[in-house]
Amino acid sequence: MKKIILSIFAMSLFIVSCSSDDDGTTSEPLGAYEDGIIVSGEGSFSLPSSVSFISEDLMTSENQIYFNANNETTGGYLQSIGFNDDKAYIVVQDGTIKVVNRYTFEKLTTISTGLSLPRYIAFEDNTAYVSDWGDPNDTTDDYIAVIDLTSNTVISTIPVSEGPEQILEESDKLYVSHKGGYNVNNVISVIDTSDNSLETITVNDVPDEMFIDESGDLLVLSSGANQYWLTPAVITDAAITRINLSDNSIISNLEFPSGEHPSLMTYEDGIAYYILNNEVYSLVDNATSLPTTSLFNITASNAYGLSVNDNQLFVTDAGGFAANSTLLVYDISSGTETNTFSVGVGASKIYFN
Amino acid sequence: MIRVILSFLLLFFYSVTKAQIANDSIQRLDEVVLSDVKLKRYASGFKLKVLNDSLLKKNNSSFTDILRFNSNLYFKENGYGMVSSPSFRGTNASQTAVIWNGININSQLTGQTDFNTINTTNFKSIVIRSGGGSVQYGSGAVGGSIHLNNTLSFTSHFDNTATLSYGSYDTKNVSYLSSFGNEKLSLNIGLNYIDSENDYKYLNTDERNDNGAFTNGSINANLGYILSEKNVLKLYHQSFIGEREFSGTASTRSLAKYEDQNFRTMLEWSHLGKKANSKLKVAHLQEHFKYFGNQNTDNYTFGKVNTYLINYTADIDLIKHLKFKPIVSYNYYQGSGSSFDDPNRKEFSTTALLLYTPSPKWYYGFNLRQDVNSSFDSPLLFSFDVAYNVSDAYKLKLNGSKNYRVPTFNDLYWQQGGNLDLVPETSYQVDLGQEMTYKNAKFNLNAFYIKTTSLIQWQPNGSDWSPDNVDKTQNYGIEASLDITKRVNAHQFSLQSNYAYTVSEDLETNKQLIYVPYHKANINLAYAYKRISVFVQHLYTGEVYITPDNLSGPFDSVDAYQLTNFGCNYQLLKTKSQQIEVSLKVNNLFNTAYENVAFRPMPDRNFNFQIQYKF
Repeated sequence: MKKIILSIFAMSLFIVSCSSDDDGTTSEPLGAYEDGIIVSGEGSFSLPSSVSFISEDLMTSENQIYFNANNETTGGYLQSIGFNDDKAYIVVQDGTIKVVNRYTFEKLTTISTGLSLPRYIAFEDNTAYVSDWGDPNDTTDDYIAVIDLTSNTVISTIPVSEGPEQILEESDKLYVSHKGGYNVNNVISVIDTSDNSLETITVNDVPDEMFIDESGDLLVLSSGANQYWLTPAVITDAAITRINLSDNSIISNLEFPSGEHPSLMTYEDGIAYYILNNEVYSLVDNATSLPTTSLFNITASNAYGLSVNDNQLFVTDAGGFAANSTLLVYDISSGTETNTFSVGVGASKIYFN
Repeated sequence: MIRVILSFLLLFFYSVTKAQIANDSIQRLDEVVLSDVKLKRYASGFKLKVLNDSLLKKNNSSFTDILRFNSNLYFKENGYGMVSSPSFRGTNASQTAVIWNGININSQLTGQTDFNTINTTNFKSIVIRSGGGSVQYGSGAVGGSIHLNNTLSFTSHFDNTATLSYGSYDTKNVSYLSSFGNEKLSLNIGLNYIDSENDYKYLNTDERNDNGAFTNGSINANLGYILSEKNVLKLYHQSFIGEREFSGTASTRSLAKYEDQNFRTMLEWSHLGKKANSKLKVAHLQEHFKYFGNQNTDNYTFGKVNTYLINYTADIDLIKHLKFKPIVSYNYYQGSGSSFDDPNRKEFSTTALLLYTPSPKWYYGFNLRQDVNSSFDSPLLFSFDVAYNVSDAYKLKLNGSKNYRVPTFNDLYWQQGGNLDLVPETSYQVDLGQEMTYKNAKFNLNAFYIKTTSLIQWQPNGSDWSPDNVDKTQNYGIEASLDITKRVNAHQFSLQSNYAYTVSEDLETNKQLIYVPYHKANINLAYAYKRISVFVQHLYTGEVYITPDNLSGPFDSVDAYQLTNFGCNYQLLKTKSQQIEVSLKVNNLFNTAYENVAFRPMPDRNFNFQIQYKF
């Protein structure tokens, strides 16, 4: 079976290369996945992670593109993918980063030494920064791994507090949201890459999604703690916090009513979109309060990933993690569902290649 | 309902006074020797398959492999030596009960038994009992049950067996068995130690099973003492201590490690009375695991459960041809672990087994059980079985039952997600069997149907996972087995084969459940001549789906595979009191690349050399 798939794949490559030879155009395609949507699936306890591709015109899709290109899986719990130049960096929780050609998904190398439980990756020039939980049961060994992109090796680490999650680079500074790993944390680490000096900004509990808005401010979604099983229960409020990056001061902190714990947010052209109880809300940059009415509602049984592109909202529905997820595409202006695609198990991240 | 049962029991206790004295000598011997009388006497309408100690000692295989090659059971093994869970007639791992000398030893944490934490060399026999057995054996005996039995023999003897083996992947195995007996005392001890790097090559890749080493030791010690003509005291003990690395997948490295400790001790007092034989058992079971996500650190999670059990049973001949066996039992389970506080559960159960044998041709069994539980309501369970000997060569067996699987400590108390509102899974089933014997051949054909409701399933619930009684499934299929032995002068031939066709489907989607093959077959051929014996084992496992969509492909199914093992033995020394036997076994003779669980390759061709000294 594998052989058949491989030979079909090989054949298709052959056809592609033939046709590009024939038409003789100068803009030769860089690979089958040059334009379009990349969706990463975490996998589950028993099913491996995978990467799916959907063409830009939403006409075709292909699952398990990494497997199809390399005849190996991305392993268990694919956390995120970072894109830099012509490469994609697939961050897998087992302690590896698979470096692939972002247009063909053919593996170039694997980085594994110096990583424990990596989560997200950011880039600055020829260096990558990876948030890493270390041993998830140890609250004091979390770090940012510094990777030299020429040698693809971890050259140093920057110790940070518990559970570093998303990481983004802006003007030679790294911003890291500390979701807290197996625990709860409430800070954003600010790392100056020139000397690796560290400052922290305190926000509401469980900060996760981060974006730089149109005015260059940092937008953070904190889900709030929801540890109802503890005695006494630890339940705190969620918030969307806007931070002035020139002095790390908080511009606004819009708190959600208690009991509401949104965890998915995305941002485009001055508007943040977030999901709460299957309703999509929008928040403009200068808003002074949270919206009271939603834009539209979605049909996901388990909304697990969110992204926006070109006035289209993309939501992954991971279902029960037993089978493939569904990618739902909505037209934001009308709120209608325009397309659905079957994507990998536990689909959580949506990227535009 | 409980009152009904109790009065039912009381009624029978009263009638004991009228009971007949009919303890024939065979039954008395059974009483003394067998650890689990009900397996032999109250299972006439059930299919039983016995694997005896000669097979267990000779084969030098893991418990998983023994059952894979000698029964209809299908195993899901996460790479060789890793967690191994069975599927019996298409049911899941927590619907197969493992019974140690009559006591259910399935984990209270997971509801299942990891078959790679049981070493079989120290058991006298293993019995595979197909069909529902919750009345007799409690939670999880839905698809069937696997019985590990030790026997105590009060004939005068002193036998010793020492075995050494060495094989591929630096696998070392040492075992020593000693059995002593006279008319008063019976003692047997088994020690086993196994250590393996288990770093087999993943065929067709450059990878090896780098994080798969395992080592474990087990002790079985059983003691029987005849106090007086009417009183026998027996003590059974089993310890298992194991440490395993948990291997990754073909493309995911792993640093995980898992430690198991299981201790089981049971004291049994049998009293042979005039009107009834009674038995009082007290037992302590302890299961304890530690999981290290990264074995280079000291951080681990753990779970531990102590089970204390007291059980009283009697074997009563009510009237001629009618036997009655009431059982009352009290279990106390005490758990602790990283993911829950210190939950406990108390359980009281009453069971009544009735066996009516009006003629040598007919057996009727009827059985009832009711549990009273501190955590949830338990259903009234029943079973019936009928056996009819049409002729010496043809036997019909029929059984039907209602069975259950109770929520585990993980299901109820796991933080976060545990659901205290769970109820037991319940299942109804019927099983019709035919047994034909002709000369040296025996043919079995069984057809079964199982319907299970309130299946416990962990599902995402917001950002958490939580179990709920959701699914309904039905399983049906047929099982066939053929055993032939033939002796021509000094040449002895034998053939044993099993085939199962199993449909196990979700009643809402009508899709086959994951990890249940439609087809599974095995065949064992053996030939012995004087001091030499050779055997070939062959296994076919059909394709299994790994997602509920029932699609084929690398991310949706695991391919069918065929596997062949070959072995030969030679007796170097053969006297009445001493025997030395050497054997060589080749596993995966044709170097087949195969997987039991998706992306977890199994070993390439490997060898094992063994020397066994009996004295």
